[in-house]
Amino acid sequence: MPRVQSFLLVVANLLIPVALLVFATGFFPYKPFMPGLATYEKLGWEEKMGWSKAPEPKFDRLVFMVVDALRSDFVFGEESGMDFVQSLIRSGSAIPFTAHATSPTITMPRVKAMTTGSIPSFLDVILNFAESDTSSTLSTQDTWLAQLKAMEGGKLVMYGDDTWLKLFPSFFEREDGTSSFFVSDFTEVDNNVTRHVPAELLNSDWNAMIMHYLGLDHIGHKTGPKGPNMIPKQKEMDGIVRQIFEAIENEDHLSNTLFVLCGDHGMNEGGNHGGSAPGETSPALVFMSPKIKKITEFLNRESPVEPLQEFDYYKKIEQSDIAPTLAGLLGFPIPRNNLGVFIEDFLYFWDDGYDRIHLLLQNAMQMRKIVKANFPNQKWLHETEEVLCKEDMSSGEELACRWQKAGQMMSTFASVHPQMRVDYLYAFCRAAQEIMSSTASNYDVPRLVLGTFLAILSLSLTVITLFPKFKSITATGFSYALTLVLYGVLMFASSYVEEEHHFWYWTTSAWFFYLFISSSREKWFSKFIFHPAIMLLFLHRIARRWNQTGQKYAGAPDIVHSPMLRGPNSIVLWSLIGATYMDIAIRLAKHVSRSIAEYDKKTGEVEDNDANRFIGTLAVLPLGATAFVFKLAFTAQDAPELVQGINEGMLAWVGQLSLVDLARMVFGGIALSGSWIAFAEWKRSRGRKEGKGNGDLAVALFDLTAIFLVTQTKSQNIPLYLIFRMQIFFLTLLDLSPTAITLTTLLLSQSSFFILGNSNAISSIDLSNSYNGISGYNVGLVGILLFLSNWAGPVYFSLAGILLLGQHGKLRRNINVSEMDSRDWVAQERQHLEHLAKKEDEGAERRNGWGAWRDHIALLTLFTAGGVGAVMAACTALRTHLFIWTVFSPKFLYAMAWGVAFHFGVSVGLGSVFWWAGSW
Amino acid sequence: MSVQINTPGSKPKAPATPIETSHNDAAKTFTHIHPILVLSLYAYKFPSIVADPVNALMESLVWLGILQIAYVAVCLPPTGSANVVAEKRKPGERKRAVAGKLERELGGKIIPAFLSLTLSVLPAIPILFATLVLFGAPITTHYFETLLCAAHISLLAILPLVYVHGVDGERWREIVALLLPVDSVFGGMVGAFVGAWLGAVPIPLDW
Repeated sequence: MPRVQSFLLVVANLLIPVALLVFATGFFPYKPFMPGLATYEKLGWEEKMGWSKAPEPKFDRLVFMVVDALRSDFVFGEESGMDFVQSLIRSGSAIPFTAHATSPTITMPRVKAMTTGSIPSFLDVILNFAESDTSSTLSTQDTWLAQLKAMEGGKLVMYGDDTWLKLFPSFFEREDGTSSFFVSDFTEVDNNVTRHVPAELLNSDWNAMIMHYLGLDHIGHKTGPKGPNMIPKQKEMDGIVRQIFEAIENEDHLSNTLFVLCGDHGMNEGGNHGGSAPGETSPALVFMSPKIKKITEFLNRESPVEPLQEFDYYKKIEQSDIAPTLAGLLGFPIPRNNLGVFIEDFLYFWDDGYDRIHLLLQNAMQMRKIVKANFPNQKWLHETEEVLCKEDMSSGEELACRWQKAGQMMSTFASVHPQMRVDYLYAFCRAAQEIMSSTASNYDVPRLVLGTFLAILSLSLTVITLFPKFKSITATGFSYALTLVLYGVLMFASSYVEEEHHFWYWTTSAWFFYLFISSSREKWFSKFIFHPAIMLLFLHRIARRWNQTGQKYAGAPDIVHSPMLRGPNSIVLWSLIGATYMDIAIRLAKHVSRSIAEYDKKTGEVEDNDANRFIGTLAVLPLGATAFVFKLAFTAQDAPELVQGINEGMLAWVGQLSLVDLARMVFGGIALSGSWIAFAEWKRSRGRKEGKGNGDLAVALFDLTAIFLVTQTKSQNIPLYLIFRMQIFFLTLLDLSPTAITLTTLLLSQSSFFILGNSNAISSIDLSNSYNGISGYNVGLVGILLFLSNWAGPVYFSLAGILLLGQHGKLRRNINVSEMDSRDWVAQERQHLEHLAKKEDEGAERRNGWGAWRDHIALLTLFTAGGVGAVMAACTALRTHLFIWTVFSPKFLYAMAWGVAFHFGVSVGLGSVFWWAGSW
Repeated sequence: MSVQINTPGSKPKAPATPIETSHNDAAKTFTHIHPILVLSLYAYKFPSIVADPVNALMESLVWLGILQIAYVAVCLPPTGSANVVAEKRKPGERKRAVAGKLERELGGKIIPAFLSLTLSVLPAIPILFATLVLFGAPITTHYFETLLCAAHISLLAILPLVYVHGVDGERWREIVALLLPVDSVFGGMVGAFVGAWLGAVPIPLDW
């Protein structure tokens, strides 16, 4: 029977990644894009309209200035620092818009949207982190960059964010990329762009100059949209706009230059982005040129203005509309995969109504091709045939019908007012944009159902393996089932997905309180305030307020942002960080000293002596010190506000050190100590005549993992490991059943994920520690470090749970029960010792077999399969929900990480290594 | 939550028995009316609790106190009165009993009720406040709200318990460890605490 159980459990575990993969392929279908560059094609109706060539372009040069995270109110609002741009709006030389950016609001997909005119799929989020992946470059796609480059004498120059260089490899004549590695850099990233501007404005060989400023985004991430550096930065950007605009006014070769200023996305009140809050999806967009006065005569030229809604200033357009508008204004074919619509205000550059129809017809014909490719079964009638549009039509039918109407209007007598034709073409284009942008029609539903079914199958198999445990229903087992069921139900509610941390905090608090009550039922603890379970609850309460997370209360006060730990009080933070490193170093020293004793000994089992301990401490000191110095050096660059009050000379010294080398030294030191201790333990277990050890190796590996995880954690979160360590200590004082240990592991793994500041939003992913020790770019390594830095807490508790389960490294007193006195006054003591002896034997027995570990994994598999199954079922059922791309699909991406990397890689993979090492 | 009677063998004290409501008509009726009154108090006050929590909770605290005192005085036997109640049913003493009824009611019920009010509210509020904070109530802001929440819980859950069980340490350990037999008073306390915990469920909602 155990063999069948193990087999079923293996199958159930293998099913989880398969289910996630099947679901992902149905949920994020690979959108086929049309390769090759667009060319002007025959539109039909040429003779009727008297067209011989495309409408005259109005500009021959483009300056495209992207300011990262330039939210609409930063330019148009009352409190904006961009006075010059506002004066241009008032004078009519600039035309302002709010360009709606779709979620995910991170740079790479936004650049894709602006350059191709398409709506990037959610897969781009993953590709954004795996930037070197060639399938995500745009070098083979049709963009306005490619079109401008293909023009006669077309040359492009690019300065700023190296995302562009990655997306458009070897596109640019001259380039200088900056990477946004340290968000504490507010000035260098921008100066690196600005220094090229004066020279480039004198050059006349380029027809497009692209600039991408990162400073404003960095300020947002650091201090939020109302930070003290925000207005000065806006003024700086405004100065650059003035410099360029004045050059356009004065330099002859620039006289026909179109100058576009835009943000790629906005930011929320916390200064982050990635989701779909109004602030994040509302970047500013301004087209500037002295020639624009021609079309702004009758427009609203007031500035600054009040927003119509929260961040909606002026007219709201789609970000993808930039591509076809640039195509019309600069005179090149609209990129093939474009779903944008030519901005109507610019039509009035052309006095002839037929030119306007021409421009729009190009747009409509190009979009019709995409529509046809997406609805291959839709019948398209000849333009002249009559058609009746009905209310309840499918998307394909509706678009065919709208096209039919536009076609009829095109074919009707020539003297009809041009505006009529323009209106019908717009009706088609806008409907096509709306329908094609909502990806709802693209799901592969059978695959979604199959993926969900596989997860449920995995859940059922796990339930079968757990059958023998159902014989006795315990309160703990009931709590475990209740947690799983509640979690599954909550996955269907968007608010609870966004605020998932509340669920885990709430459940964990109740569980700790239950532990207090249940242990009080057996024996009253006289100092009940210091009962281990109450201490656990207390520590949990501090930890949960360490970082504010979720959507609803993002930016609310928390311990990390309190003045207790930053600014002049940084010394408090660094003392706590130092204490954390000390604690781990002392633990490591014990392991090393034991190994020295082992290498030293002549015969038999020996205890380490003081000399060994001294040498052990000396041996781990360099590792601990290097790890600490690395953190300090890293933080001095990444978050200077956290190192104020630290000795200047020391900061200057760490500033000279190479971060990559330091990180490599730390990782190397961990690997070296690990192999040294492992070899000693191996020798020790070989030399043992009979019986088994205490599982010290597992404890040593855990402490080494801890120092690695601390290295992968932001400095302001490091003191949390002290709290975690204390929680583990109090847990060992409690008398927990194996199921209770598993449940505690689950609750603390999940809670610690949110405690470290993560949430179910893409914007909360922390990239800063994923390049530690890596100089080049290596997708695999960066991915692993990225996962470990964001899941450090869960990894820590998952492994700690294994040590709790097997009672590894617990001191064994080898109490001989039969020799004990039976006199009355020692009866109680005798009972106590008997109990201890029983527990120790239980632990030893547990850790030397695989049964307890299998039950542990079975329960965790039950939760993972149930959890990912619920997420997939929710995504399937709610696939037309308003929040599907903003709440549920990010949650699915997180569920993939939990299911594959965390459960499969850490809980099962790393966990089995620990369990095996513990049985030596 | 399962409430089992799990009496350890080495207990010096007699195991607690379920508290029965007093055997008179007024008590029997009021036991059923009381929860309805308490619930209607909260239902009636709900809009103002949402609009202005501190003042509304303060105001309803007074009414809740009156209701709870009435409840314990009318329906519940005061602490240590189990024998007295039994003696009361002696035949032949009817007249004296009637004559001293008001006095006895005052001395035996109303005063213990007010005594339990002070005894329950004063020490219970800080402990409940600490418990609420441990479960996640804010510590730097909203202390009045948390304090008033603790006061309400103490009136709802602790006052009847003090009235019937007194302040005996051993008994209170049993209460914390959920070792008492289920009766309306003890069940009410468990209900109040579970309810307070479940009350956190809507926090993440954004409507």
